[in-house]
Amino acid sequence: MPLLSESDANEVRKIFGVLVKDVYVKVFTQKLECPTCRDTEAILKELDDLSQKLHVKFYNFQTDREEAEKNGVEMVPAIVVSDGTHSRVKFYGTPSGYEFSSLLTVMVDMGGKDEPLSGETLEFLDGLDEKLKIRVFVTPTCPHCPSAAVLASRMARYSENVESEVIEANEFPELSMKYGVQGVPRTVINDRFYVEGALPESMLVAALREALKDDPPGEKNLMDYIHT
Amino acid sequence: MDFKTGIIGSGTSVGGDVDLLIAGGGPAALAAALYAARYGIDHVVIESYQPGGQAALTALIENYPGIMEIAGGDLAEKMKEQAEKWGGVFRMETVTSTTSREEDLVEVKTDSAVYNAKYLIIATGAAPAKLGVPGEDKFYGRGVSYCATCDAPFFKNKRVMVVGGGDSAVKESLHLADFASHLTVVHRRNKFRAEPYLGKKLLSCDNCDVMWNTTVKSIEGGDGVEAVVLNTPDGETRVEVDGVFVYVGRRPSTEPFRELVDLNPDGTVKTVNVVHTSRKNVLAAGDVTDNELRQVVTAVADGARAAAAVFDLMQQEGDV
Repeated sequence: MPLLSESDANEVRKIFGVLVKDVYVKVFTQKLECPTCRDTEAILKELDDLSQKLHVKFYNFQTDREEAEKNGVEMVPAIVVSDGTHSRVKFYGTPSGYEFSSLLTVMVDMGGKDEPLSGETLEFLDGLDEKLKIRVFVTPTCPHCPSAAVLASRMARYSENVESEVIEANEFPELSMKYGVQGVPRTVINDRFYVEGALPESMLVAALREALKDDPPGEKNLMDYIHT
Repeated sequence: MDFKTGIIGSGTSVGGDVDLLIAGGGPAALAAALYAARYGIDHVVIESYQPGGQAALTALIENYPGIMEIAGGDLAEKMKEQAEKWGGVFRMETVTSTTSREEDLVEVKTDSAVYNAKYLIIATGAAPAKLGVPGEDKFYGRGVSYCATCDAPFFKNKRVMVVGGGDSAVKESLHLADFASHLTVVHRRNKFRAEPYLGKKLLSCDNCDVMWNTTVKSIEGGDGVEAVVLNTPDGETRVEVDGVFVYVGRRPSTEPFRELVDLNPDGTVKTVNVVHTSRKNVLAAGDVTDNELRQVVTAVADGARAAAAVFDLMQQEGDV
């Protein structure tokens, strides 16, 4: 039985109707020690059948090492979404619940005709001369998470200097613990700065500007530096 | 496994002229959208997040007539689908300010566009109120949470405290009790304000205890929450916990409408006849108003009434 209900599949088909460009998706899974890999494969297979513009390829994380390394994939299940020219936008974990809508949105961004970011954000990204790695920790039951997940993914889609990873916190407890995640969405910037909650676009840009300033090393809560 | 199919809008909306702007994305706004769409009113719904507002943060809704039980987020998604089926128009933006330069036109600014609306329905709902104690902001996201649905999995087999005694506090306690090793509910009164059925269920929970007539003095910890200092009838006491979930009421989200319509001292929109405000072409619905019961069922009723009121006004003006 398919994971997507008939009505969900129809809804997705309708959403994919706006795709004007090809969207390339690479899915990395493994057979053992990955309880959620099977569902991830299954749901992406179903998505692949819902649009001609979507091209999903499956890789084995253990045997296709070269491909995994080339795409910077470090754990599974992993989903890399692109226009075929980069691997900057990644999702780790099963895309269920609200994470599914984040993935759909990023696919639509990638293959749509409109630029989803505001002029102010684009100006900031155009002026970037340093690398930014944005990790967004989410759970599938968090309705505020897609805003944070999608915003980071949009920035990575646009700028060669930005890389985004949306991580399902429950599926990667060790990583969540390493970054002290006890609430979602939590956005971690360059491993060391963080913001809590889903920030409006202009506020995330303000936080990123703050993260790029020269400062002594150490963990830093950017919430203290931006006005909420 | 469930799959939410709502797409996140972009920050590049152009705004423009519209007959009716509905601000908000919770049940009140979704019902207003459904009715407005069916009345054939030219409209747009401006929502900041995924649909549902506070209802989307509710793990289980058991008192929406006709539906035995449903997750709040799923109910909201169904409401949005239904509104869209009838032509509901949704944009994901945040309303930042409103003014009325001309008597019969409201200018609505969002984070990415400017709209001129003949009618406005304020249905922006409310956000969780804070305790306002030392440590609360510091540990937000590191043990302090306002969303059990989002964050409960991080407290599996851990000690959790819930602060509050209303419907949300008790409902979310029941959700958290399934995850936590032990749950302490702290309430400032000597009985719950929640539905008696919910209160009884919580009192019979094996891994829960309730501290009555108790308030929070501060939240302490290092990297994360380690303890909460409480004022109890027997004096000050320190309880070691790993997480604190706060459900002590709500702050109405009325900041962008401060200059537009009369508000009550508590920040809610002053209403007459349920949905009318101090300005003829501005209506209000749901938790943002001073209407007393704050439930999904009352919010959708307000939303329907507000859309109907707009339709009436438009007919009087000959706009439809």
